[in-house]
Amino acid sequence: MSDPRIAVVEKRLSGVRRILAFSSAKGGVGKTMCTVSSALALALGGRNVGILDLDMQGASAHLFLGVKPRLPEEKQGILPLPVTERVTLMSVAAFTGERGLPLRGSEISDAILELLAVTIWGPAELLLIDMPPGMGEETLDLSRLVPRLESLVVSTPSAVSVTVVERLLSLLKELRVPVAAVIANMVQEDSSPVRELARRAGVVRVVEVPQDPSVEAAIGSPDALSATMAGRSLARAMLELGYLGSEKPDRIR
Amino acid sequence: MHEWALADAVVEAAKAALGDRDPACLRGVTVLIGELQAIDREIFSFALETILSGKPFPASIFHLETEKASFRCEACGTEWDLEESRTITEEQREAIHFLPESARAFIRCPACGSPDFRLQKGRGVSIRSLEVDAREGCV
Repeated sequence: MSDPRIAVVEKRLSGVRRILAFSSAKGGVGKTMCTVSSALALALGGRNVGILDLDMQGASAHLFLGVKPRLPEEKQGILPLPVTERVTLMSVAAFTGERGLPLRGSEISDAILELLAVTIWGPAELLLIDMPPGMGEETLDLSRLVPRLESLVVSTPSAVSVTVVERLLSLLKELRVPVAAVIANMVQEDSSPVRELARRAGVVRVVEVPQDPSVEAAIGSPDALSATMAGRSLARAMLELGYLGSEKPDRIR
Repeated sequence: MHEWALADAVVEAAKAALGDRDPACLRGVTVLIGELQAIDREIFSFALETILSGKPFPASIFHLETEKASFRCEACGTEWDLEESRTITEEQREAIHFLPESARAFIRCPACGSPDFRLQKGRGVSIRSLEVDAREGCV
């Protein structure tokens, strides 16, 4: 018998217009900063945004946003934690706080499915998913469970990051997950390695986010994060990629 | 009460399994309730009745069975059940109720203290079986 939770995933997401996964095969490239800063920018632009932190073993979106972990409220499902007037967050940290959560692959799949099946996103028009590094259960399960998923792939200009992220871009192509843009994060001078990467992968749009030492001090404060150079770059990107503009989604390849 | 979301999932899954067959073809649905998630059966049953309101099939065709939870330590091989995981607090139980995988953060092997264990059975809500009428047009 198939898992009954699968039958309600799309129903739970039916009010959400677009679902964006911030992904990278490489750790430490700034996926969480890009996810939360983009969410905050969309909220400042008048959108209601949900953030789903799927990094089960390294959940940190709540730290960036200054959200103290606590058990969620129940209302015919579970409600994501409020962050600002227009932003909410669902994360395993709501259940386990800052304790380590050692999970095997099948347990990660079960946890992803449970969160998708029972979270009530309410007024959220956009759902931004902070993915863990790699291309395991989260990437495979999400692409199957959420067929209208779009991906924003994050890489730094480092040769190591570019090489590892190129593997993810190939996989996303095979999984038929459209890539809305490649985000060149932590750019100091030259973003060309990431632009080349995007060109090879056939991704037209590249978002450039500068290396911004002020981000560290802004962690924990949504207002301060939005005001950083990196935050402002991502706000521009959300506008340019069409997530703030038209009511109808831009078509991407 | 998040039991509603899970009851809704069971109803939607039963509808999907039935497809375009006559709803009367579905004679019974056995729902397995894993002990670990500590689902309130009364709320779950009430949610089933309310969500369905008799359509397209009555809630009475759903039969709930509880499955005991059992764990096995990967480090020392000890097997234990939920009653032996006495060290967890009420708040931790609630976290496990929402997300059963939270157990991995709170439960340890009662023999050797290892965090490396497997939940062998009794996780959460699943459908064990569907009973479909054998008459023509149903199978």
